[in-house]
Formats: sequence, structure tokens, C-alpha cells
Amino acid sequence: MAVAAPGEQPARSLVTQEMQTTIRDVVRSAKLWHIWTRLGMQDVRLKFRRSSIGAAWIFVNLAVLVLSIGFIYANLLGQEPREFIPYLTIGMILWGYLTNSIVDGGNAFINSEGYIKQISLPIYVYIFRFFVSISVTTLITMCAFVIVAVIYRVPVGPGTLLAIPGLLMVMTTSLLLITIFAHLNARFRDVAHMASVGMQVLFFVTPVIFPAHLLRQRRSMALVIDLNPMYHLLEVIRRPLLSAGPAEWHSYVAAGLVIVVLAAVATAVIAVFQRRIVFAL
Amino acid sequence: MAHIQLNNVDLEFQVGAKRHDTLKSAVRSGFGLRRRTEARTVKALKGLTLSIRSGERVGLIGHNGAGKSTLLKVMAGIYPPQRGTVVTEGHMCPLFEFVTGFEMEATGWENIRTRALLLGMSPREIDRKIDGIAEFSNLGEFLDIPVRHYSTGMFVRLAFATSTAVDPQILLLDEVMAAGDAAFIESARKRMNELMLRASIVVFASHGLDVLPTFCDRTILLKQGRIVADGPTADVVKAYAELSAVKA
Repeated sequence: MAVAAPGEQPARSLVTQEMQTTIRDVVRSAKLWHIWTRLGMQDVRLKFRRSSIGAAWIFVNLAVLVLSIGFIYANLLGQEPREFIPYLTIGMILWGYLTNSIVDGGNAFINSEGYIKQISLPIYVYIFRFFVSISVTTLITMCAFVIVAVIYRVPVGPGTLLAIPGLLMVMTTSLLLITIFAHLNARFRDVAHMASVGMQVLFFVTPVIFPAHLLRQRRSMALVIDLNPMYHLLEVIRRPLLSAGPAEWHSYVAAGLVIVVLAAVATAVIAVFQRRIVFAL
Repeated sequence: MAHIQLNNVDLEFQVGAKRHDTLKSAVRSGFGLRRRTEARTVKALKGLTLSIRSGERVGLIGHNGAGKSTLLKVMAGIYPPQRGTVVTEGHMCPLFEFVTGFEMEATGWENIRTRALLLGMSPREIDRKIDGIAEFSNLGEFLDIPVRHYSTGMFVRLAFATSTAVDPQILLLDEVMAAGDAAFIESARKRMNELMLRASIVVFASHGLDVLPTFCDRTILLKQGRIVADGPTADVVKAYAELSAVKA
């Protein structure tokens, strides 16, 4: 560490010094992976430890949801269950991932208050901790899609692997969302509630429980889909998994744009709050 | 070489600022649209400058609210000061309490590992020390069951055994953790002393004036966020006694 110059320092250099500390904190946090993976995995385990069927609750939860929504909507919308159920399953899983990143991830600092005020680890460790627990829970849930895919004979091929770059894009999005909402929610406790309302509205606009092409058939509604970032984030994983081929190119462009914008916002939020987030807790 | 250097450190807390912790308070304040009124600033530390070098054992004394714990947290990097600079060098370990990181549903073994990681031990270091920790805790096969089933005494033994296994260069202790607390049995006191001797710098906040002379060559007296005396323990303790007498 650098030795401080003696005496009073001009305000300007203090600001840049703070920025440097912040950047160093972020890097240090990332390097402490053995701490945040352990805490994150522990969060996942503890959530189910005392229940008799454990992590199977994740599947039960999803199965009940998919079966009830699936058969009603397949009939209502005149869809083949064979195509619609896998579509619905992966859509619900990914939607849950993004929602949890915002709503649960928004509590990353608030729930870690005891740690932040007692232990001198850089605070971004707790962002990664929540990223691990939310992502691992999602990956476990993905196993449910595998079962559904086998039952309904979803086509599998080399193209299925294209879901991996899609998954990486969505995981990046998740990490950025957690970062943004953890900061905002620590300072303004209403943000998580507002975001949760917003996500509910988006859920009915985004093709999760209905196929995109149904809405596209009405000319004026096509924009609702094409301008919806959530739709593209779903597509970069959903399409390869369902059709063993790539999503449309503009979905990748849109998902990339979402990441760039969120990265800019996350950087701004970190720069504004820096380590002062402890005073908001 | 380990050292701690504070230059003109000011630390302020905003209190009375209405936080929207509950929906009720959110609604009442119009979801934050109507701005809060009585935001108040409390200056916890005022213009603190001090330097602590390797080999020093420093006591912090002062009345409640004088800023002892806050100063420790500034040294630990938990509270960034609004003005001034804090520079520290050396592996630092704050021990303000025992239990952060303990999960009631996890077993004793799991909790040792988690807590040790949080205190800055590496996984390899933990592998090396975990048997010693288990032995000191004297919990035997109870370590295999969730901490939830422990008695308070067992829980404290485990937490203490784990927390005192660290080997920091800089050790920051708050009074509950400091040696000489009557609640600790003799072996705990010995272990605590060993821990304090291992570190190159020890800073500890204390009420127990009798412990200070035996352990600290230097003591800092805080009053309302300022340093009012800094020097050999005997002198500063005397100044503190006078201060208390005047107040009484």
C-alpha cells in the first residue's frame, strides 16, 4: 500500500484516491472467491436444510406452476403441449433468475449488514455471495428443464450448446442487476418493492407464458416484443435449448446492449456510493 | 513492517434521517417524495491524527460514546472517514465480537471454516489449525451436529476458540474481546494473551483499567471524538481518573 503524503491533502486528490481504493476493493473482493463461494453455497444449502425433501422443493415449486399454467394456457392459446410445456418451463426458470437477481439480490448489502459492520472484508464480497446463491439455485432448477426436455422429446444437437454463451450473457446481466439494486436498495429501501412491481408488469408483457409469435401476429404489438430487453435475454438461452440452433441475431445484439448499459449503470452506482454504503445500513 | 497511520480523520454519522425501512413509514412520508426534515450530523471523530508502529500495544480508553469503537472501525477500514486519510499496512484482523458468520443450521465444523475464512485465514491455514480449534473448544463429537442444538456455553467456547486462532499482524480488539474480562475462564484468558503476543500491533478498547498497565505501554484517551491524551499508560490512566473525577 502507498504511504500517505504528510499533512493536509487537496480535495481533488482525495477523490481520485477514493476511486482507487474502490477499484482495489472490487478486485480484492473478486479474488476472495473462496469466501463468497462458500457463503453463497451455504445460503443455498441452509435454505433447504431442515425441510424433508430439501432442494427438491425447487422442482415441486416449478412443476406445480408449469403444470397448472401449462395446460390452461396451452388450451387457451391453442398451443401443442409438446412444444408449449418445455417453452414455458425454461421461460419460467429464466424469469425467476432475473427476478431473484433484482428482488433478492437487492438485499445483498442489507442482509449482510452484520458482516459489513463487524468484519473488514471489502463489501463487494457480499455481491458475489448473492450472485453465487441465486445462480446456483437457478442452475439446480435448470435440471427440471432437462427432465421436461426428455419427456417431450425436445430436439438436441450441437446447436444446443449455443445456450452456453446465452447463459453467460444472462449470468453477467444477473451480476450487474444485483450490483445495481444492492446499492440502490441499501440507500432507498423502496427500490426493491418498486422493482418487484415493475417485474410483475413486465411478466405479462414479455413472452413467457405465451409464445412470441402470437403477439407478433398483430402488427402494432410487434414492437412490444422487439423493444423488450427481457424478451431478448430469455431468447439467447431459450431458443438454442428448444430448437438446437441460434437465437435471432438481433437478440444477441439486444442482450449485448443490455449488458453494456447495465455495466455503465453499475459502474456509476459503485462510483457514487463507494464504500459509503456502510453509512446507509 | 506493520503500521497504522491516521491523518486528520473526521468521521460523521447522519442520524435522524428518516429511513424507509418499513412500508408504513414509506407511505407516511409519501414514499420519500416529501423530504425528511430532521437530518442531523453527529461528529464521531474529530481531526484525529495518530501513528502506531510495529511492536506497539495500544490501549484506547474513554467514556461511553467517546469514539473508541468507531476509531477501531475506522482503522479496520469499515467506516471510510469523510475527511483525512487512513493508511494501514499488514494483515489486519478486527475482533469486535465472536459470532458474525455463524449459522445456527450449520454444524460446528462448518462454522469453524466459515468464521475462520471471514477472519482472513486461508483454506490451507484452516486445515492446519482446525484440529487445534476443535480441541480447545472441547466439543468432541458435538462438532458434527448443527450449532442450533448447542448450549450457550458450548456456543461461546466454539466461537471463542475459532476467533482466537487467527495470526494477524494487526489485531483490533473491542472491550468484550479484551483479555481480563471476568467472564472468561483461565484457559481462555491464556489463549487470549497468546493471541495478543503473536500480533505485531494490538489496539484494544477497554474499560478495565487494571488490564491496561499489564499489557499496554501506550494508551490513548478519547473524549467526544478527540484525542485528549496519548502517552505512557500510567500517565494516561491517571488523566482519565482525573477526568472521571471532575465529571463526578
